[in-house]
This record gives sequence, structure tokens and C-alpha cells, in this order.
Amino acid sequence: MTLTLILEQAFNGLQAGVTLFLVAAGLTLILGIMDVVFLAHGAQVMIGAYAAAAIAAATGNFYIGLLLAVPVTFASGYLLEFLLIRHLYRRDHMEQVLATFGLILFFNELIRIGFGPAALYSDLPPSLSGFVEILPGTPYPVYRLGVILVGLACAIAIHMFVSRTRIGAMVRAGANNPAMTAALGINIKLLLRFIFAAGACFAGVAGMMLGPITAVQPGMGEPLLILSLVVIIIGGIGSVRGAFIAAIIVGLVDTLGRVFLPAMLRLVVDQATADGAGPAVASMLVYILMAVVLIFRPTGLFPAKG
Amino acid sequence: MSAIRDFIGLVGDGVKANQTLWLLVFGFALFPIFTHFADLPFWNDVAMRIMLLGMAAMGLNLVLGYGGMVSFGHAAFIGIGAYCVGISQFYGISNGWAHLGFSIVPCGLAGLVIGYLALRTSGIYFIMITLAFAQMLFFLFVSLEAYGGDDGMSIDRGEFGFIDLYDPLRLYFLIWCALALVSLALMFIVRSRFGVTLRAIKSNESRIEAMGLSPLRFKMVGYVISAVICGIAGTLFASWQEYVSPDIMHWTRSGELMIIIILGGLATLAGPLLGAIVFLLLEESLPMLLGAVAPAYAENWMIIFGPLLIMVVLFGRGGLTGIIDRLSGTRGNADHKAGPR
Repeated sequence: MTLTLILEQAFNGLQAGVTLFLVAAGLTLILGIMDVVFLAHGAQVMIGAYAAAAIAAATGNFYIGLLLAVPVTFASGYLLEFLLIRHLYRRDHMEQVLATFGLILFFNELIRIGFGPAALYSDLPPSLSGFVEILPGTPYPVYRLGVILVGLACAIAIHMFVSRTRIGAMVRAGANNPAMTAALGINIKLLLRFIFAAGACFAGVAGMMLGPITAVQPGMGEPLLILSLVVIIIGGIGSVRGAFIAAIIVGLVDTLGRVFLPAMLRLVVDQATADGAGPAVASMLVYILMAVVLIFRPTGLFPAKG
Repeated sequence: MSAIRDFIGLVGDGVKANQTLWLLVFGFALFPIFTHFADLPFWNDVAMRIMLLGMAAMGLNLVLGYGGMVSFGHAAFIGIGAYCVGISQFYGISNGWAHLGFSIVPCGLAGLVIGYLALRTSGIYFIMITLAFAQMLFFLFVSLEAYGGDDGMSIDRGEFGFIDLYDPLRLYFLIWCALALVSLALMFIVRSRFGVTLRAIKSNESRIEAMGLSPLRFKMVGYVISAVICGIAGTLFASWQEYVSPDIMHWTRSGELMIIIILGGLATLAGPLLGAIVFLLLEESLPMLLGAVAPAYAENWMIIFGPLLIMVVLFGRGGLTGIIDRLSGTRGNADHKAGPR
């Protein structure tokens, strides 16, 4: 029974981790290369989720919704960079925080006007709503397993792209030293617009996949944004590899902490104290983890800047 | 005697150099007379909110504007201050002075710890770490079921001896006194040797280090002072709304404080107060304006407010105080032209 529970929760943690990675992957490059604080990345998650839910509802096919939402989020990221973000590169951090904060308000309200304030719930197609036995006697939802697999596939694709292709080399060079990369004749602005659109796209994919698991509602991306910022800080700004490892760690620590920490505390202190303090400590766990990492490694585990 | 005369002279110099600030503070003292004769008691409430948010923003401005430390987590200190009222009432302490005392110490300590850890970093890392600490405290209060958890707890206004806070005017003037004292204190701090050093650190940290001073120590002191000011604002905020919940320290409030400062003008004393006035007036009037044009969308005023913020960033350099300086032809504060980097 406990082994089943641990395994199930570990899978849930893994699923949270890969979702976080999809949000953090683009953001870490945006922060790393252009030193831009972009808080509206959570809005991209929301746009992806709404695009998928709306298209699925209109066509009646879940898969078409997922498929068509990808270009929608890519386009929204591309447009956003072109219309606003490129004007913010030379501004200081505070102004970037303010402008992207304004963007969050704008997008949340736009969605509220378009789709209403209530949460949308989308049904899974029958082919995805079953269970699969990951170990004999341990059923696990097919859909969540699918999320893990898609997330891992995206992670591998991003890794191959960044480490094996020519454009990937430019991306890494940009994260390491943007000025020098530009001096070598690489069009870093175009590169950044592409990264921005791709990052928005991956955040959108995370939103689409979360849609059927959680409620699709205005502001749904914000908790994810803040957790992915924690991921980026732990992993080191600008490092895709660091973001992946940190995302998995944060996903596991958060999920397992919430389930098992109250029980573990009960072994040390009396029940009443443990029941009171357990959830409190569990919800703070990832932030404590981040503080500890920063005390020993102020630039994160895998800093990209050399 | 001469010490008192020196002090008065010092205050006089400060007031002369910060006329906008003191005009505003003076205006807030007279505002209830206006609302009384115009029969608009509702606007007293708005004015109290302006003063409270303005006070918190003034505290944040010490680190953000003068120190160049972009803290994205100051809502946490407002929250700690507010919860100090709630929690001490939970244990039967109803004296308002005690609430203020109890909030100053925890806020100072929290500022010390968060500052010590966060100030080891800079740039984006600093922004994110302060945000993360604020989130940590937010979730701590969400999960503390004993103190209401997510739903928060309703509280009674503290007892300040002869000042009965259920009389709206007395509450107003208690908040006003706090605002005036905070303004006075910040005016001295900014004009002191400490304040000058803080600004020097912002423009060139390594030079200050080369002069044999420890920038970290100055930044820490500034951080703690600003945390305490936000805590005081939070304590009064809780008394004002007779209710405290984790919402008071939601990360969007840290954003609001930043908006207020940038709207008003960085590294100016009057800026945050001016910004708070404009921010809250927009918040009150945009729904009305939108309701007049398109009644169905009156609730969706943020669709205008968001782009407005972006416009302020793109086109409004130096905030409102910058505009006032330009209009009145006085030489603007060099700080907000140089920018915090």
C-alpha cells in the first residue's frame, strides 16, 4: 500500500516537474540572454489552455484542439515580442516588471471578457481517460502518464536542439555572452524573437496539457509562473539543463512534501503539532530549498554565464 | 535650546526641499473638512487607503528608488504587520500600541533575515528571491488553519487608549499621524549621511567598497527600515479593514507598490504618495468611466489599466514628479534620470 502510494505520488511529482520545465525552458533563456524580467509568461500558459479548450469545444475533437493550439501560442509569443517586448530590452528591470505586470492584467481581463470568469472544464476523450498499470496492482491515469511522456519528449527535443544544432549553439552563446555573440555577426534580435515564440509555445503546451487536469480559468498560469521562477533560480538563469533538473526536483519535492511531510513530522513531534505545522512547512518547502541553494550557490546549480 | 533650534532649522530645510511632499501631507490633513462639507464620507475611506498604500510605497521606495534594490516582495511585510494585529488579538491582546510594537519587531526581524539572504545576490536574482520569500510567507499564512488559513480572520480595531478607532475621523487622523511621522523620518534618513551613502551605493557600489565602507551593511539597514515602515502600514491597514487574510500579501500587491512608485517617480519623497493618489483614483474612476461608455464591461476596467501601465513605462520617464519638475522648470532629481542600473 505505501509503496503504491509512493510510486503514484512520485509519478505525480514527475508530471508536475515536466510541466514546470516546459514553462521554465523558454523563460530561462529569455532571462538569460536578454536580461528581461518577463512576468507574463504565465499568460502564455493560459492562452495555450484556452486555445486548446476552445478549439476542442468548437471542433468536438480533443486532439485537433491540442494540435491547433500550438501555432496559436507560437504566433502569440511572436507577436508579443514584436509589439512590446523588444522595446523593453534596454529598459531597467523595474520597468520590465511593471510593463509585463500590465500585460498580465490585460490578458487576464481579455480572457475574462471573452470566456467569462468561471473555469472551463474539458472532458478527456475516452481513449485517454482510462488507467494503466505501471506496476502490477498500481493503476495510474493514462492521461497523466501521457503528460509525462510528452513533457519528456519535449525536454529531449529541446536538449537536442540546443546542444546539437547550429541555432542551438547560437542560443547557448547568447546565454553565455550576448554582446560577444552579437559581435560575431549573429542576429541576436531575430534569435531572441524565435526563442520568445518557441518559449511561449512550450508554455502553451504546458497549459494545454494541464487543462483537463486542473481548471482552465483566468490567472491560471500565475502560480506556475512563480514556481517556474524558483526553478530557474535553482537551475541557474540561462541554463536549459539546469532548468530541467531543477524542475524535476521542485516537482518531486513539492508533491511528495505535501503528501508525506505531515506524516513524517508525526514521527518527530506530537500529532496536533504535526497536523498544524505539516501543511505549512510542506507549502514552503520549495522556497526553503531555493534559499538553501542560493546560500551555497548564489548563481544557481548550473549557471550559464561563464 | 540651541539643539531644538537646530532641529527646527533642519526640519525647515527639509520641508523647503520637499515642498510637494509636505503640501500633499498637509492636504490630507484638510481633506476631511472638504468631505464633511461636500457630504462625501466615502472619499475619506479612499483617502485612508491612499495614505496607507502611499506609506508602504514610501517605505519600499527607500530600497527601490534610493538603494536601487528591486524588491518584489514587500507585500510580505505588510502582511506580517497585518497578521501581528490578528494574531495578538487571537491571544487576547487588544491594545493598539501593543499591536504596533508587536509588528515592528517581527517585521524588522523578517527584513533582517530576508535581506541578509537576498542581498547576497543582485539583478534578476534579487527580484526573484524577494518574490519567492514573499510567496513562502504567503503560503505559510494560507496553511495556518489556526489563524483562518485561506479565509483570513476578522479583527477588531485596536484600542489606542483615548483614541476610539470606531470613530472614522480618529482612525483617519491616526493614519495621518503615521503618514506624517513616516514622511518626517524618511526625509531625515534620505538627507542623512546614511541616505547619501545608500544613493552612492546605487550608482557605484564598488567605489563605495573601495572607500572602505561595507555596502552590504548599508543595504541591510535600508532594507530593515523599509520593512518596518511597510509593517506599520500593514498594522494600520488591518485595523482599517477590520479583517486580515493572506490576500493582503498576494504577490500582485508587491507589484502594485512598484507601480505606485514608478507612477509617482523613483527616489523622490513625494513620488510614492503622488503615485498612490493617481493609482487609487484610477482604480475608483476607471470602472465608472467604463460603465458610462460600455455598461456591460464596467467590471473589466483592468483591460484599460494594464495597457495604461505599459504606456507609463514606454513614454512616462521620471513619473509624475518628473513631469511636475519639468513643468515647474526646476532641475529634476538626478537620480531618476540616471536610472537604477
